[in-house]
Amino acid sequence: MKENGIEHNKGNRFNMWKIHLSVATVTLIPAAVGINYVAKAFAEGLKLPLWLGSLGTYLASMLAGPTAGAISGFINNIIYGLTLSPVSTVYSITSIAIGIVVGVLFNRGWFSSAKRVFVSAILIALTSAIISTPLNVIFWGGQTGIPWGDAIFAGMIGNHINIWIASFTDEFILDIMDKVVVAYIAFFIYKQLPQRMINYFKDNQ
Amino acid sequence: MEIRNNSIQKIARLHWYNFVDPVTKLLLALFLTMLSFDFTNLYFEAGLVLCSLVLLLLSRLTSATINAVSFCLFLIVTMILIQGLFYSKNVHPLFSVMGITFYLEGLLYALTMSARILIIIFAIGFFMNTTTISENAKYLESIGMPYKQVYLLMSVCYILPQIQQNMKKIQFAERARGINPQKTVTQKIRSILPILIPLIIKTFDQSINRSITLQLRGFNSPERTLATPKYCYFKAKFSHYCLSFATILLIGWKLWQIISRFL
Repeated sequence: MKENGIEHNKGNRFNMWKIHLSVATVTLIPAAVGINYVAKAFAEGLKLPLWLGSLGTYLASMLAGPTAGAISGFINNIIYGLTLSPVSTVYSITSIAIGIVVGVLFNRGWFSSAKRVFVSAILIALTSAIISTPLNVIFWGGQTGIPWGDAIFAGMIGNHINIWIASFTDEFILDIMDKVVVAYIAFFIYKQLPQRMINYFKDNQ
Repeated sequence: MEIRNNSIQKIARLHWYNFVDPVTKLLLALFLTMLSFDFTNLYFEAGLVLCSLVLLLLSRLTSATINAVSFCLFLIVTMILIQGLFYSKNVHPLFSVMGITFYLEGLLYALTMSARILIIIFAIGFFMNTTTISENAKYLESIGMPYKQVYLLMSVCYILPQIQQNMKKIQFAERARGINPQKTVTQKIRSILPILIPLIIKTFDQSINRSITLQLRGFNSPERTLATPKYCYFKAKFSHYCLSFATILLIGWKLWQIISRFL
């Protein structure tokens, strides 16, 4: 079956839970981390209200499965934590989850059409918000660090709404925007990738 | 004390932190972080901030750490404001500015969390400023970390500048073709694709080439020569055991504190 240029043939599907890292995956992961880093810097440079810092994780999961995506996300946060913001290291748990969810959804054909990508993005944003909320509460008292998101948080706290609900709302509102945009960018980029490139990473797992 | 690096024939002076291995530095950061989570007394937290700052100042203070502190400073200020005003356990007013009351409980809560953040930044900063990528990679491989994982960590640090360079070239080419800076958010998002698509394809192409090169050079060979650490570290294993044991105890203690609230 080929839908919008993305193949979802059972026979072509990669071994989703393969833990052994092939040389191709080992070289794909640093590239994915680099893409995450550059996309985030790019979004900051354009002053976009988004992070885009999980684009490489999405692509790694789509090309080489959830394990590669999870490792990309994990290493991305470790490197980001060791170079820019040490507290980012703890959010590596969120990045691992994003990598896994994207890989599973892609493998099940939830990245095959624009409509399905939207549903996938909501699921990814939900996962991200559920995992990030306790971390936000533990490290930042519930804040996310994005001024307008934190304004919503402050408003809810001021109205005596539970800190967990306020923090989840703050995180989810920011996540939904970011994850939808990243999911569509990843979807379009994947469609533009040469078939030989997709096959190389799929065959060399 | 001096050592001569054979590869570059450069004389390097050894400092005290060169005798502390990378894993001990990371475990120390974890230990200090766990201490700040277990003992929430503000004076104790301030003491820990001071300890980690002294540790950092006794090694090297680089712009990376200053950037990390400034990166978190804005968040710390907003945290103090939000918790001081809206913290759910606020009871005792501290002061009022233009009719807005600031509470003691919220301020103490925010200060405790700010102290934790600073402890993490300073302790990780100590690791960052005193450990090079190659030193870290060689040490991790020598203590048994699989070389593929070591390669992953190392290669990211070398690939990043390459990708950034590629992005600058593509951006320059796009500008030369007459693509102007975008104004609205939608225009900005649309302008991302013409830059990201060639950048990503080039990056993946380079990683395919790298993968073929690695395979040809026998990356998967079981007879690989192990990397040897650059320095001789002082009681590395002993430090690992002590710090790991102390950290596990602190984690256990924290878990017990949480569980006992429900008993």
